[in-house]
Amino acid sequence: MVLVSAARDYVNRMLQDISGMKVLILDSQTVSIVSVVYSQSELLQKEVFLVELVDSISKSKESMSHLKAVYFLRPTLENIQHLRRQLANPRFGESHLFFSNMLKDTQIHILADSDEQEVVQQVQEYYADFVAIDPYHFTLNIPSNHMYMLPAVVDPPGLQQFCDRIVDGISTVFLALKRRPVIRYQRTSDIAKRIAQETSKLMYQQESGLFDFRRTEISPLLLIVDRRDDPVTPLLNQWTYQAMVHELIGIHDNKVDLSSTGKLPKDQQEVVLSSEQDAFFKANMYENFGDIGMSIKRMVDDFQQVAKSNQNIQTIEDMAKFVDSYPEYRKMHGNVSKHVTLVTEMSKIVGERRLMLISEREQDLACNGGQVAAFEAVANLLNNESVSDIDRLHLVMLYALRYEKESPVQLMQLFNKLASQSPKYKPGLVQFLLKQAGVDKRTGDLYGNRDLLNIARNMARGLKGVENVYTQHQPLLFQTMESIIKGRLRDVDYPFVGNHFQQGRPQDVVIFIVGGTTYEESRSVALQNASNSGTRFILGGSVVLNSKRFLKDLEEAQRIAKSSTNVV
Amino acid sequence: MATRNRTLIFRKYRDALKSVRVPSSSSPSTSSSGGGGGGPVIELASTSLLNHNRKYTPLSTEDPGNSSKGALTVGLPPAWVDVSEEISSNVQRARMKMVELAKAHAKALMPSFGDGKEDQRMIEGLTQEITGLIRKSEKKLQRLAAAGPSEDSNIRKNVQRSLATDLQNLSIELRKKQSTYLKRLRQQKEGQDGVDLEMNLNGSRSIIDDDNLDDMVVESVNELAQIMKDLSVLVIDQGTIVDRIDYNIQNVATTVEEGLKQLQKAERTQKRGGMVMCATVLVIMCFIMLVLLVLKTIVF
Repeated sequence: MVLVSAARDYVNRMLQDISGMKVLILDSQTVSIVSVVYSQSELLQKEVFLVELVDSISKSKESMSHLKAVYFLRPTLENIQHLRRQLANPRFGESHLFFSNMLKDTQIHILADSDEQEVVQQVQEYYADFVAIDPYHFTLNIPSNHMYMLPAVVDPPGLQQFCDRIVDGISTVFLALKRRPVIRYQRTSDIAKRIAQETSKLMYQQESGLFDFRRTEISPLLLIVDRRDDPVTPLLNQWTYQAMVHELIGIHDNKVDLSSTGKLPKDQQEVVLSSEQDAFFKANMYENFGDIGMSIKRMVDDFQQVAKSNQNIQTIEDMAKFVDSYPEYRKMHGNVSKHVTLVTEMSKIVGERRLMLISEREQDLACNGGQVAAFEAVANLLNNESVSDIDRLHLVMLYALRYEKESPVQLMQLFNKLASQSPKYKPGLVQFLLKQAGVDKRTGDLYGNRDLLNIARNMARGLKGVENVYTQHQPLLFQTMESIIKGRLRDVDYPFVGNHFQQGRPQDVVIFIVGGTTYEESRSVALQNASNSGTRFILGGSVVLNSKRFLKDLEEAQRIAKSSTNVV
Repeated sequence: MATRNRTLIFRKYRDALKSVRVPSSSSPSTSSSGGGGGGPVIELASTSLLNHNRKYTPLSTEDPGNSSKGALTVGLPPAWVDVSEEISSNVQRARMKMVELAKAHAKALMPSFGDGKEDQRMIEGLTQEITGLIRKSEKKLQRLAAAGPSEDSNIRKNVQRSLATDLQNLSIELRKKQSTYLKRLRQQKEGQDGVDLEMNLNGSRSIIDDDNLDDMVVESVNELAQIMKDLSVLVIDQGTIVDRIDYNIQNVATTVEEGLKQLQKAERTQKRGGMVMCATVLVIMCFIMLVLLVLKTIVF
């Protein structure tokens, strides 16, 4: 609840003290921030009768001075320019300015200069600069996510912008929680180190007054890690509800766009999948596909019973009962349709792409050893006609990540086979992945074969057998969280920034993955939090990845890296 | 949750810049513009407060040339705001009457010596009043709709939605109160029947009363169904895509664009209008005919 309720509190406070009819003006980022935690009907209750984007509102010329304007924007250069123009020719009676992050003095100066008509009643900083998609999961929706894979020399201003956005987002999470953390980062990642140092500078030096909260015994921990330490998780096919929908269809700001999947009634083309508003989803978002099928069948049966009894109206009592319960009936109907549509669509995709067969192989590559058998299996699947190009690519990447060093000849064979069979495959992509996230670049023990303890654990697991072959993979994050709980996160791998130090185990931990999180990892975090271990984890990332997005970032980074070496 | 108030700094900058921009001719208390300080700050702050209060005065004699700041024109809210205010005051009144109704229900259910007919009448009266208010408001609600995609129409649509939700909640609440009252009344009547010795007299009375009760139930269910049918188009279903702020913004953007496109298209077709061509041709033909006619009469 933490992140969602913090964001909601901010929005509530913005609206409650201003009476009368209001218009809420947002920018393209704050729209996401507000939409995931506040609904349109709640806005209407607060007398906000119009919501507009700050760049489109200046196109209209009508004056509406009976409305009060509430602006909630990120303090960027473009927004300040838009505001300047609007304050110079004000269309609304009053203006209340709220910014999601810290304003520079120059920006306040510019705004004060353009407010000749004195419409601005207040200027506040309300620190909600993150998109709280789930209670313990936030994202920043950064479009230029591929930046983290490029060396700093390629595009210094772009990289600076990327880092700034992340530092802004992380710092507002802590401002919303009113804590100041101790910061650790992944040693092998330059960008994680840079972000950690800049965050520390902001919290402890530049704005130390703002962050000077009441100190508790043990400070919370901020851990900044790099996506490339675990490139396997975003490539795998998922079988738990939320993760699966994102992987096969795509979830953006808790909305699913089904318009590209054939004929659907108008009200089912775009649906909302939010654990806060949908009780069925909340109960089933981390369940695997088989169990979801059962739950949905149960839900449909319940609904059919209600529908039947509604058709069977014989007495006045029945009539009265029907009319009274009509709103709930309608809501139930909508919800059932939504979930049935989603599961049907996913089943179709699973069938078309033969995902059960492929995913079994993927999970095997990710979790179990045996190079020879793996090679044979992957080669067979590459030869199989019904396997799509994208799945072939996944398989080769997963094989390469695991068996990079063993038998390079066979690895080359797979590359060649892939290149010859998949016309759209961009050559060198797998090699680029290995260069970015190969075994030399990784800190964590991704396959559990570095540490004696992990090897023993794997063997024990192999002997015991797994419950479900399709969900046997545990993201590396799970191990990291365990180490933190036990207080055994190695200083060598994850050093502290500057002279920070922490004695004992932290109770609040924010883990930020530069390069993006996945829903499999957020599931891991949610389950960990539910197990009441005394430590509460919050997960954040620059975007929420699925395999499509991860590959897109890789391709984009490869393209830029190639063109920059050409220039040099 | 941490927040930071930057209003003071903002006002300080604004006033400082103001005194730099407008030379001290209009502010009597200072001679040095760089001074800033207490005088003009206090003066300007108080005048801006005054402005705020005078927002809705109908006959605003504020002369833009007069005040030192070039004040913004105080606009009248558009006419439909009056309609929406009427509706919300109706909703308020209905709510108060609901409270009275609840009390009347409780009183009627208490065992008493009298006939209870007076209580019944009061209850009926109140229920009629509330239903009437809801009905009236619902009719007025239809008048709020506006044609054409524009910002104003979006505001009107949203105001409509908000009031529709209020009305629907009100009618559902009324129905619930009624049904619990009727249920308890029926239970009481049944209890009484068992105890009373004069079976015949009471039997006939209770049959009539049962009929009355059933009639009331049917009537109230009917009313509620009617109202819900009319309102369901407007009320937002919570948790669906229509309840998302970003979806509504997208829709606004696309409908405004669409509207613009349609207008442009209409303009083009009108200009190119076959009609215009036809009309011009006909007029020219008329002239030619006239000339020919004149020529004919002259020549012959």
